[in-house]
Amino acid sequence: MEKKLYSITAIYSYPNDIIRAAKTVRDAGYKKFDVHTPYPIHGLDGAMGLKETKLGFVTLAAAIVGAAGMISFASWVAVVDYPQVIGGKPYWSWPAFVPVTYEIAVLLAVLGTVGAMIAFFFKFPNISHPLHDTPYMKKVSADKFGVSIQADDEQFDEKKVRELLKSAGGEVEAVYYSEEFLTFKPQTFDPKFIVLLAGIALATSAGGYLYFNKVLYLPPFDWMMMQPKVNPQTMSEFYADGFGMRLPVAGTVARGFIPYPYALGAKADSVGKFLVNPLLPTKTTLDLGKKKYFTYCSPCHGNFGNGDSRMNGQFPNPPTLHSDKVRTWPDGAIFHTITVGQNVMPSYQYQISREERWAIVNYIRTLQRAYNAKESDLQ
Amino acid sequence: MSSTVLDYTKEIPVIEGLPTAAALDETIVKPINDFPQRRWFIGLAITGTMLMIGVVSLSWLLWKGVGVWGINQPVAWGFDVVNFVFWVGIGHAGTLISAILFLLRQKWRTGIARFAEAMTLFAVLCAVQFVIFHTGRPWLAMAWLFPYPNQHGVWVNFTSPLEWDVFAVNTYFIVSAVFWYLGLIPDFATLRDRATTTIKKVTFSILSLGWRFSNRHWQHYERAYLIMAGFATPLVLSVHTIVSFDFAVSIIPGWHTTIFPPYFVAGAIFSGFAMVQNVLIITRKAFKFEHLITMDTIEKMNKIILVTGTIVGYAYIMEFFIAWYSGNATELFVFVNRAFGPYWWAYWTMMTCNLFTPQLFWSKRIRTSLLASFILAIFVNIGMWFERFVIIVTSLHRDFLPSSWGMFVPTMWDFGMLIGSFGLFFTLVLLFVKFLPAIAMAEIKAVIPGAQPTHHGNGASH
Amino acid sequence: MSAHESVIIPKKELPANIVKLGWALTVIGLVLVVLSYVTDAQRAGFNNIIGFTFLASVAVGAVFFIALEYIAGAVWSTPFRRVLEFLGMLLIPVVLLAIPIFMNFHDLYHWTHADVVANDKVLQSKSPYLNEQFFTIRFVIYIVIWSLFYFIFRHNSLKQDQDSDQKRTKKNIALAAAFIPLLAISISLFSIDWLMSLEPHWFSTMFGVYYFTGSILTALAVTTYFVVVLSEKGYFFKGINENHYYSFGALLFGLLSFWAYIAFSQFMLIWYANLPEENFWFIARWQNGWEYVSVAIVLLHFWIPYFMLVSRPSKMKPRTLKQSAAILIAAHFLDMYWLVMPTYSASPVLSYYELAFPVLSIGVIIVLFAMQAKKYNLVPVGDPKLQRGIDFTL
Repeated sequence: MEKKLYSITAIYSYPNDIIRAAKTVRDAGYKKFDVHTPYPIHGLDGAMGLKETKLGFVTLAAAIVGAAGMISFASWVAVVDYPQVIGGKPYWSWPAFVPVTYEIAVLLAVLGTVGAMIAFFFKFPNISHPLHDTPYMKKVSADKFGVSIQADDEQFDEKKVRELLKSAGGEVEAVYYSEEFLTFKPQTFDPKFIVLLAGIALATSAGGYLYFNKVLYLPPFDWMMMQPKVNPQTMSEFYADGFGMRLPVAGTVARGFIPYPYALGAKADSVGKFLVNPLLPTKTTLDLGKKKYFTYCSPCHGNFGNGDSRMNGQFPNPPTLHSDKVRTWPDGAIFHTITVGQNVMPSYQYQISREERWAIVNYIRTLQRAYNAKESDLQ
Repeated sequence: MSSTVLDYTKEIPVIEGLPTAAALDETIVKPINDFPQRRWFIGLAITGTMLMIGVVSLSWLLWKGVGVWGINQPVAWGFDVVNFVFWVGIGHAGTLISAILFLLRQKWRTGIARFAEAMTLFAVLCAVQFVIFHTGRPWLAMAWLFPYPNQHGVWVNFTSPLEWDVFAVNTYFIVSAVFWYLGLIPDFATLRDRATTTIKKVTFSILSLGWRFSNRHWQHYERAYLIMAGFATPLVLSVHTIVSFDFAVSIIPGWHTTIFPPYFVAGAIFSGFAMVQNVLIITRKAFKFEHLITMDTIEKMNKIILVTGTIVGYAYIMEFFIAWYSGNATELFVFVNRAFGPYWWAYWTMMTCNLFTPQLFWSKRIRTSLLASFILAIFVNIGMWFERFVIIVTSLHRDFLPSSWGMFVPTMWDFGMLIGSFGLFFTLVLLFVKFLPAIAMAEIKAVIPGAQPTHHGNGASH
Repeated sequence: MSAHESVIIPKKELPANIVKLGWALTVIGLVLVVLSYVTDAQRAGFNNIIGFTFLASVAVGAVFFIALEYIAGAVWSTPFRRVLEFLGMLLIPVVLLAIPIFMNFHDLYHWTHADVVANDKVLQSKSPYLNEQFFTIRFVIYIVIWSLFYFIFRHNSLKQDQDSDQKRTKKNIALAAAFIPLLAISISLFSIDWLMSLEPHWFSTMFGVYYFTGSILTALAVTTYFVVVLSEKGYFFKGINENHYYSFGALLFGLLSFWAYIAFSQFMLIWYANLPEENFWFIARWQNGWEYVSVAIVLLHFWIPYFMLVSRPSKMKPRTLKQSAAILIAAHFLDMYWLVMPTYSASPVLSYYELAFPVLSIGVIIVLFAMQAKKYNLVPVGDPKLQRGIDFTL
């Protein structure tokens, strides 16, 4: 192995000496030199002629990105993507976003500063530097102070450097390194390494699968999936009849539920006149009615209510909604038909809410008027 | 102190005697290189047993659900949240010592900063377990706590103080860990160069990232340390402030009071310093660090305990006074009920341990007595635990309607988890002092006499 | 020690133009105050409270910092401690400014009207605390506590100039330890008495801390201003450097951040809980033009000085320090205005009434400072920590 000269180093014992030595080296015009001390020494930056660090700008940028990003994200979630009224406050309750914004600003600032410092300012991790593992390093990591002038400095001249460092009162020593050692590159595409990676991947996946799907669910850990409560459609030993699902107590009405007073047998014509359409044919209700009509009605009655869907011919044909019968029906009759069904048409009251049914009625009226448009409608 | 008369013209030295830098390394590295003493194993056995009690309680909790705890309606927050707030509070001392005292240039912090920071990390870990398990189904907690895009199209609630807590505690943990690691890098490099075995050498080489003690690095490193301290200081304040928001933004009498943020922060520092004091006195004795962690340091810690204890006392009094001054009947009831209601014993334990006994630190003799400091610090920890108990349980157990009044009685599993958290904490502390340098070597070398140049008059240095 | 003795400039009178300015402001202020009282005694009275609480902030804050320096063993501030000791003298004009308020009491404090209290259950329950006799007694107690400690601190410090006795420092440290808890309680109750009780129905446990923080921040800003202006003109000692300036800057920065933290927490908790018995106070300050004042306070008291002082080099620049200190002093005036005036008027008002007391206060601060600087050393030459303070490096 060929050894090359990396630098000439000198060891000093006292902080005052190292400051003087650093100043001497700087004044002699060397650029590629460094001072190594076991702890930071006051005034050494000035003696070495180092410029003020730019690290603060990284911090500032990261903090601003964090703060701006977090407040925008929280605002977007709260106002645009998932608006919820919380505590009766406006969607954009900025004082409530201050804490998270602050935390993320601090987090990014700190991670940004340290990350940038380690990766870009220090170029770390780097554990194969020529100075590592030298007697010089062992001294400066304990209690001595050292100067190292690199061989690749423009005005490097071994003899002069040795004299200079000696004149400043240090113990001079040269540090060598081998080219191979420093240029060593890890062999990423080495087959053995790839096999190792694949093995690790396989083992991790298999282990993860077994752990998350099998091991975690070994008895007794059922993760509260078995609970002493009645699930829908299951039996219960508590009730004499064994049914887990119970009928409502007689004479009670579920919250938000309005019972429908007419049975399947009631004729649409007769009950229709007792039901009054609560909705006005506004744009909102018509849009709603159209949407629901396309979902629930059009598969049989056709997109425009002609009864011309692809069910035609496979079934008793679905009737058109433009017949005189339907056109002269009161709104309530159509509503009743949707609610309880007619002939082969089933009841839709569980799929379509009350309000939506009335909206559909309004939409059907619109369709009917469009098919039988009068002169006056065109104006 | 060797001399009884203080001389104000001189600075009080951070460490006693005149050890050389090499001797310091020797002292600090000794516990890492030596085979541990028998009392270390005895300690580990005790804390391990406590930890196991915690593991058993936790398993039972996971099997049965949070019903094994004593919580009920109206007292839906019991030991879980009490312990969480308690441990987060303990976790405030470390970063405070390393950040705020750093900014205030209190050099005496050097000896204790490292393991105070470690204690911060461990205490936050202890705290986090309680909030995670108190969600009831911790294996789903990830989905509830973190904002990530999901197929439900649902986001977390950024206006909830509990969500702020998630952000605050996580940020705090990450920042404290980075801060701690940053301080350890030069020490890892020293350990690397002193390593006797290959395993140690490889481990410390990797952990040190290749640190070379270069002044071109120190320059950035010092600035980064300053910046981190600048950020960590308000961060420490913000974390316990946000914990206090968990209570104070509500409209529950006894929780909703505007002094909560600084009062919680002061309480956190108070309890954290007491815990550091306890661990410090033992470590100092066990590893013969007497000259590195001086009596003066312990006295200063006691002074801070006295100051923060008095601030907390101020908050107690101010709360009580304003409860009366507000003319709000419910508010006043809650405070009278605290002091003279069914949980009067908790209230008076809190008052005694937090407000009255720390006042003994006015006496210099007590401040400089190891035994008294240790006992009073334990008292503070008891008192601060009871403070959280008082705030949470007594405010909840009397609901607005007398028909909804109730009582909270902890079960053995509540105590099991509390003991377990102490077990976890002290186990981690024991492992830490064995495997990592308990005192920051690079920092303490910088403050020994003669460590810095005497550069008055040579103006070129700046 | 003797090697550096020559750098200290123990005594030097203030520049004549500053003294003249002080006197001019005082006289103009006094004329305006008299004019205000003659034309509209109620409005003048409210403004009087603003001026009074402002000067009390500076005076008490200064005494607090004297005590803090002793108890914390700080050295960097020792060469400048006289500035604080001079500012503490403002306790005298504080007492003088309280007299017209007492004479106008019924115009200003709602709870002093017996008929109002008789019809108000909440005020009735407060009357054991909020009544004129007890109010006056409390005021006397506060003043006695503050001035007692202040004059002892000052006496010991001035005496030390002659005998350089270290025991005096020790005595002051012991006193400071006793003083700080007393101060915390007295200044909190002081702020509740004089400011919070202007809206007798409103309450906030944070209020005392809020006023206390604002006070010490203002006292520090005034001190910083004096220190920077005078040291630029060659006062104190030779070789005042960035280390000293940085300490002032960092402390200002820390305190103004802490003030913002306290102010935001108080607002946030009341805003979030939205209880009618508390929120009306903030609502009154967020309508009819008061919202602009509120925003101005947030900017002047926090954001502007925050960004001025955020970077490390800027904390060392005398110019930035002077400017941010001046902004903070103005902001504290505005803060007091914001606390007091919504009780007087539903929308912000500005006329010579509002200018009278700020002008007078600034004038009085300068005049009192100049008068003492004439008589006493500007540097505590006998203080054992002085040399360490001069040699101070970061």
